[in-house]
Amino acid sequence: MNQDIHIPALARVEGEGALTIRLKDGAINEILLNIYEPPRFFEGFLHGRYFQDVPDITARICGICPVAYQMSSVQALEAALQVTISPEVRLLRQLLYCAEYIESHALHIYLLQAPDLVGYESAISLAVDFPDLVKQALRMKKIGNDLLKTIGGRSVHPVNTCVGGFYRWPAQDAIHALVPELEWTRQASIDTVKWAATLNYPDFEQDYEFVALNRIDEYAIYEGDILSSKGKRISPLEFEHHYLETHVERSNALHSHTVDNGTYFVGPLARLNLNYKKLRPIAREAARGIGLKLPLRNPYKGLIARAIELVHTSDLAIDLANAYQPQGPSYNEIKLRPGEGCGVSEAPRGLLYHRYVVDEQGLIRFARITPPTAQNFAQMEADLWALAPTVVNQPQEEASLSFEHLLRSYDPCISCATHFLKLNIERE
Amino acid sequence: MNNPTDGTRDELSGTIKIIGIGQSLRGDDAAGLAAVQLWRETYQETGARPNVQVELAELPGIELLSLLEGARIAILVDAVHSDARVGTVRVITENQLETFKDGSGSAHGWGVAETLSLGRKLMPSAFPGKLILIGIEAGQLNLGEALSQEVEAALPEVARLIEQYISADPVH
Repeated sequence: MNQDIHIPALARVEGEGALTIRLKDGAINEILLNIYEPPRFFEGFLHGRYFQDVPDITARICGICPVAYQMSSVQALEAALQVTISPEVRLLRQLLYCAEYIESHALHIYLLQAPDLVGYESAISLAVDFPDLVKQALRMKKIGNDLLKTIGGRSVHPVNTCVGGFYRWPAQDAIHALVPELEWTRQASIDTVKWAATLNYPDFEQDYEFVALNRIDEYAIYEGDILSSKGKRISPLEFEHHYLETHVERSNALHSHTVDNGTYFVGPLARLNLNYKKLRPIAREAARGIGLKLPLRNPYKGLIARAIELVHTSDLAIDLANAYQPQGPSYNEIKLRPGEGCGVSEAPRGLLYHRYVVDEQGLIRFARITPPTAQNFAQMEADLWALAPTVVNQPQEEASLSFEHLLRSYDPCISCATHFLKLNIERE
Repeated sequence: MNNPTDGTRDELSGTIKIIGIGQSLRGDDAAGLAAVQLWRETYQETGARPNVQVELAELPGIELLSLLEGARIAILVDAVHSDARVGTVRVITENQLETFKDGSGSAHGWGVAETLSLGRKLMPSAFPGKLILIGIEAGQLNLGEALSQEVEAALPEVARLIEQYISADPVH
């Protein structure tokens, strides 16, 4: 490459992002990753709102991972209001989370990242040569969305989750009716792991600090302690003391770093590396089947981690759906009291932290939302710098694609950006 | 399009889907949702017809394909962005949709045009026989803002258009 690279709108990235790389004397002088980050807006937008509106508002941050925003927010508010949830509610929330993992991972694996790995511009061109592959992805995604709709009331922005539980129990037969399709998904996921192992991933490894939720009794998605690959384990209450956010002048997004000023990496690779032993046996078997060796330190291989998680979550979803038997009230009554609480869950893209302060009328007085992409932001930039020396001598277009591919492998979720059609505008 | 394996085969039993798309919390981006809601309130009788279904899809991304599946006619209403005056209403036909570029601005890497393009390739038999997109030119797209006055003023026209397309359909 002999010119600066400016990618004003990163394709196949969730939302709006732009990347500028400036050269000076043939070497890379500046890397600017600019991400429009709407969760910051929502922190202000939530101020003064009634606590029970929060799950529905935060679900609108993202069309792909609304459940994650709901799960972290309800847990934070339940902590603030000292509300407990019934075991049945927890199980149904886990099932809802499985639905989101299935639809989100199927989307990212096949439609967002795979085109890069198999050399296609987009899933549309991929669909021309491999229609069955893309049809399989759409079917998996649809099953995830169907499950989401059955529990959440809507397939895109679920509305049934509330602080204290669910507004109503979904019908038992509607949940049970989805089991055959989930069984198909489990088999398709196992096939996806095998297929993922055949792809050619760029040779790029870094010594990351991985951070993910961790539990003794399960592969932590819904809740857990926060574990780092450097051995540090903290409770969610301590999160803001160990993982700090700072404002970076050139970007409107906050960058996270560890208290020692290091970068860290959240997401499927972190979960798989830290929690592999807690995977469902069938998911471990799929991993063994491809000779998986951990830790995975190649960000592009997040695709393999997602595929293994698809096996795990579809298998778990089958068990949870079969066992689903609603009983008792679907939510616990809430007594208003002032309080503060935090909640952490594993969004498909990584750890998602919420903290709220609620006043005696149930109004939000403070909101903090730390999404996974903000936490990975500094790591993404560090990776771009690490990749740069190998890319700088590539032809311009190829170099540009290399940088984009690395960013897409992170599955950055910078969403809720405008989605509207831009008419008659050619891509640069 | 009208071969026996196409979605048009169930001419009499197929549904008409009215799909509003948009980010409800982002200014004029909510134009499509607001227009469909206004149509539903204004033309309640049409909305109650058993073969008419309404979806306020917000940001469906590729999930739009599931919403379209099996519909005989689909009317998509969405904010659009071009050089036109804010509040301009335009009907984009199926043929014009074909000319949209892949990679047009979209969240989640999946705009309406790309999604439709993928749907046509992969599920032609389940794709609506007739697809109409009504676009409303958006102005400000600030989070937390209401619709602009220009877009607000255009909503009755969009509601009338939706109603016209449904009324023009011979199947009642």
